[in-house]
Amino acid sequence: MLYLQQSLAIAKATVVESIQQPIAFLILASGVLSTLLVPLFQFHRFSEDGRLARDSGFSTMMVFGLALAVTTAGRAVAVEIRRGTAAAIIGKPVARSLFVVSKWLGVCGVLFLFWLGVTAATLLAERGSSHFILNEVCTHTQHGADDLCEPSGYIMDTLTLGLGIGGVLVALIYAALQQFIKRRRFGVHAFVGITVSQGIIVGLCGLYDRTGHLLFLIKGSPVFVSDLDWRILPVGTLVLLALLIFAALATALATRLQTGATFALCVLVLLLGLTGDLLAVQTSLLSVQGWLAGLLPDIQHFWLCDVLAQGGSLSWGYVAEAGLYALSCCILFLTGGCLSFANRDLG
Amino acid sequence: METMNHLIQIKNLGKTFKDFWYRPVIEAVKDLNLTIQQGEVFGLLGPNGSGKSTTLKMLLGLLRPTRGTIELFEGLRPEDVAVKARLGYLPEVSHLHEFLTPRETLMYYAALFGLPQVDAKRRTKELLQMVGLESVADRAVGRFSKGMARRVGLAQALINAPELLILDEPTSGLDPIGCREVKDLVRLLAKSGVTVLMTSHLLADVEDVCDRVAIMNKGERCAYGSTRDLLRNPDMVRFSVSGLTAEVAAEIRLQLEQRAARPVQQDFPEMSLEAYFLKVVSPDANNTAFKVAPFLEKKQ
Repeated sequence: MLYLQQSLAIAKATVVESIQQPIAFLILASGVLSTLLVPLFQFHRFSEDGRLARDSGFSTMMVFGLALAVTTAGRAVAVEIRRGTAAAIIGKPVARSLFVVSKWLGVCGVLFLFWLGVTAATLLAERGSSHFILNEVCTHTQHGADDLCEPSGYIMDTLTLGLGIGGVLVALIYAALQQFIKRRRFGVHAFVGITVSQGIIVGLCGLYDRTGHLLFLIKGSPVFVSDLDWRILPVGTLVLLALLIFAALATALATRLQTGATFALCVLVLLLGLTGDLLAVQTSLLSVQGWLAGLLPDIQHFWLCDVLAQGGSLSWGYVAEAGLYALSCCILFLTGGCLSFANRDLG
Repeated sequence: METMNHLIQIKNLGKTFKDFWYRPVIEAVKDLNLTIQQGEVFGLLGPNGSGKSTTLKMLLGLLRPTRGTIELFEGLRPEDVAVKARLGYLPEVSHLHEFLTPRETLMYYAALFGLPQVDAKRRTKELLQMVGLESVADRAVGRFSKGMARRVGLAQALINAPELLILDEPTSGLDPIGCREVKDLVRLLAKSGVTVLMTSHLLADVEDVCDRVAIMNKGERCAYGSTRDLLRNPDMVRFSVSGLTAEVAAEIRLQLEQRAARPVQQDFPEMSLEAYFLKVVSPDANNTAFKVAPFLEKKQ
């Protein structure tokens, strides 16, 4: 019970400290905004606007998430060791291994908030991107006039995209007001506010159709239709699992290295991990290639955006199996981190 | 003295820092032997780089000794988590999470000690009152002056009502009133049975509060013993009398010189600059001194 209490306290402090950093807020805000802006700047759609928006969202999740994982772990572990905050915690009845694991949990908390925001933005971007709509029958309002006839063709849901971008701005204004009036933390309110705003808009966009008409005004139409591509969730969850592995790797490396070196090594593992399938093909376990394939996380297991193309979907069963694989990778890296930190001089 | 209840026993302790290639770079502590008894205020003195802080960090399990042994609470090792539950530590620089408020900082450290929420809140309130930070309890500590951060650091060191309090340069960054308050607090804590180990290079601070001291230089122990014994000059005697006229004083001096057959030095005692400062700035300094938090007093 004490371990749980200590772990939660350290993880919570890590989340609060990390999302307070300008870099964390910038990564989230730029990730959400770039995801939402992609549909507005697509000029060569080839009827795949939705796919481009989705894939762009997943890429943002992975690349920006990796940057967030490394900077957060670097700040939570390497910087705290250098500044002495880690020594102040280890000077209390906190086991060193608990410190490392709790820091990782804190980094995971930050990544989860980031993932929620970017996933919601990806859902909105996919819905907002141009879709070909064929209106064979004009819809009727409660007034009875055929005033909702829309031309057939590509229709972009600009209202959803506008609300998404507006949500970011509202979150920033809210955080600024909280800071100005109540002297509360800007970074925390901005970070959480952006994530919450995107979640709220995901709920709100079910109240109107892609052309922006409120559903409850349309005769015979259900009041709420989400019209979102929920297949994004399992694929996005896989990206989150990959990020949790990188969080474990970054936390372990940060016990000895500074943020720059940690980032370089994480990128190297990402690149090698993406070639995991190639490394594993026709190799002996005793070869260097075989060892690399065995030790490095195979990122291909977590990068399955292509499954969604042409109407495919991903089962949650696969996500659960990938989750077990991710957990084993995290345990491997965290064990290394704990061993590395066990004998490290602090202070 | 050596057979008394040892709270800390250090034998042949040594620490050599190494570089990336594990080559020895500096020998920070050399063959140190110390024994600290329960309930005493012990001062570790020395110039910068003498190995005081390194010794404290080894006591806390933050640094691994290269040689020798440390035993705390009669047989426990510094790395044991159970040991750390019984001690409080104020680092040389108050390493605080800069975005947390003093209240959150104390609640955070209370959680690390596994204190129930109700106790944690009560102790936090009492400690904030004690160190005089109640009015700024909800402001981020990153904006605090060094002295205010020091007070937060002192409060966090006491959150668990420690049996052993380790203070690394406790008066660093504090104004004279703050220094006086900390010294009074150390004395009050010692009276309530807390053992205090403090380092300082401000000799007056140590002289005021410590029962025994060890002086370190270049990693080695140069002197060790009770403050009174170390400072006493057995060849000298000082008399202090008030209200003497010049004639009487001259007569007494003449008689002393005749009896001692040596020159006698005569001066007019001055109060210390600290005492004068406190007299000018805070005439009722005795009333503004730290009031020990009630949960710490209960140990008496």
